[in-house]
Amino acid sequence: MAYYPEPVARLIDALQRLPGIGPKTAQRLTFFLLKRPFDEVRELSEALVAVKERIVQCRTCFNVTDEDPCRICADPVRDTGLLCIVEEPNDMLAMERTGEFRGRYHVLGGALSPLDGIGPDDLKVRELLARLDAGRTREVILATNPNVEGEATALYLAKLLRPLGVRITRIARGLPVGGDLEYADQVTLSKALEGRREIG
Amino acid sequence: MAVERTAAVVIGGFPLGESDRVVTFFTRRFGKVRGVAKAARRMRSKFSGALELFTLGELVFFDGGRSELVQVDHFDIERPFGGIRADLGRLGHAAWMAESVARLTAERDPHPAMFALLSLALAAVDGGASPSRVAVVFGARFVDALGHRLRTDACVLCGRGGVIAGGRAAVDVDAGGTVCPSCAGAVGGTLSVAAATIDALRRVRTARWGDVMALPLGTAERELRAILEAHVTRLAGQGSRAARFLREVSRSLPVSEAP
Ligand SMILES: [Zn+2]
Ligand SMILES: [Zn+2]
Repeated sequence: MAYYPEPVARLIDALQRLPGIGPKTAQRLTFFLLKRPFDEVRELSEALVAVKERIVQCRTCFNVTDEDPCRICADPVRDTGLLCIVEEPNDMLAMERTGEFRGRYHVLGGALSPLDGIGPDDLKVRELLARLDAGRTREVILATNPNVEGEATALYLAKLLRPLGVRITRIARGLPVGGDLEYADQVTLSKALEGRREIG
Repeated sequence: MAVERTAAVVIGGFPLGESDRVVTFFTRRFGKVRGVAKAARRMRSKFSGALELFTLGELVFFDGGRSELVQVDHFDIERPFGGIRADLGRLGHAAWMAESVARLTAERDPHPAMFALLSLALAAVDGGASPSRVAVVFGARFVDALGHRLRTDACVLCGRGGVIAGGRAAVDVDAGGTVCPSCAGAVGGTLSVAAATIDALRRVRTARWGDVMALPLGTAERELRAILEAHVTRLAGQGSRAARFLREVSRSLPVSEAP
């Protein structure tokens, strides 16, 4: 990349480190930004810096927040007896969008993964145990992803938390809404059957 | 652009871009193949749960010939091996096997016997066999199939016989097998195991699958794990992530026989 002026090469290099962005895309983004008005680019750069300066981790639930404790942890109306465990802050936001859940969250910061060598010490598990120790939790809802890593995490937490005597539930897995039964693969379908419940 | 079809097991993968996935397969006809599965991470992807780790299925891919990555067209589940994912010990040991294959085989290097060994081992773990035992048997046969069989008949450094002393033997995975007591003293860093473990290694390599699952190995199994883990680590040039996972999980929970 010796033929790019230094600032251009530097930006390409920085963008390439973002997930899902290869050299081609990094080049395209760089030249796109070069053509944009100065104010617009300044706003982007300020937003990047602000996110690092002002956003912290909530020390209770490990959500990303601009105040600690975060709004959800500080909300007196929320049910402190319900604790929903998610992998990432994004998963928490997805749960919030449903508007159905009125409890609190605990963000693990990832999932167990044997192939990536990620074990319990790499997640906020100890912090979760400390929270449950405080004793107000009635039910823990395991809302990790329905893939190998998320299932392993749910399995691990269910075993770890069982002696504490709280109710432990797992979000249902199964068919996507709007899907067609005949196109479902056997794994998804068997999970859906496993998670069936009474109706009417 | 060639369209290929083969039986395959998912042995790894990672997200790519917005919604794609790069999946590592170990295939019967082509050995290790890595491919891009377009939109695999979308909720309504045509792949759905098929590309999950350990799934055995029928893979159809396009090979444009220009890139190392093929394009995954279809992957139809033959056996999901869901039992492996229902237990952390099974998951960890099966991951150790998948990781070893992913790290130590070359791309597009067909090895049908190794494919058969991996499928058999995953089916055994799925069916409830001791995952630690399966991993040991798999590991011993896998390094043999790679052409890295540890020699156990003599000292690999000086060639002399008599590697057993006081009921124990020293194994040097760097040197490729057992070493006599004087060489072991000179090189250092060897694994000291019971003589019965060397005997057990010979038996797990050759015994029929059904028999080897029932062999009473006692503490030799744990020592075999240590030898194989050291050997695979040496061949791969780095420690196994799955072994680390198993160790860490077993610190806080009783898991079936962590290494
Ligand atoms: Zn919070
Ligand atoms: Zn010697």
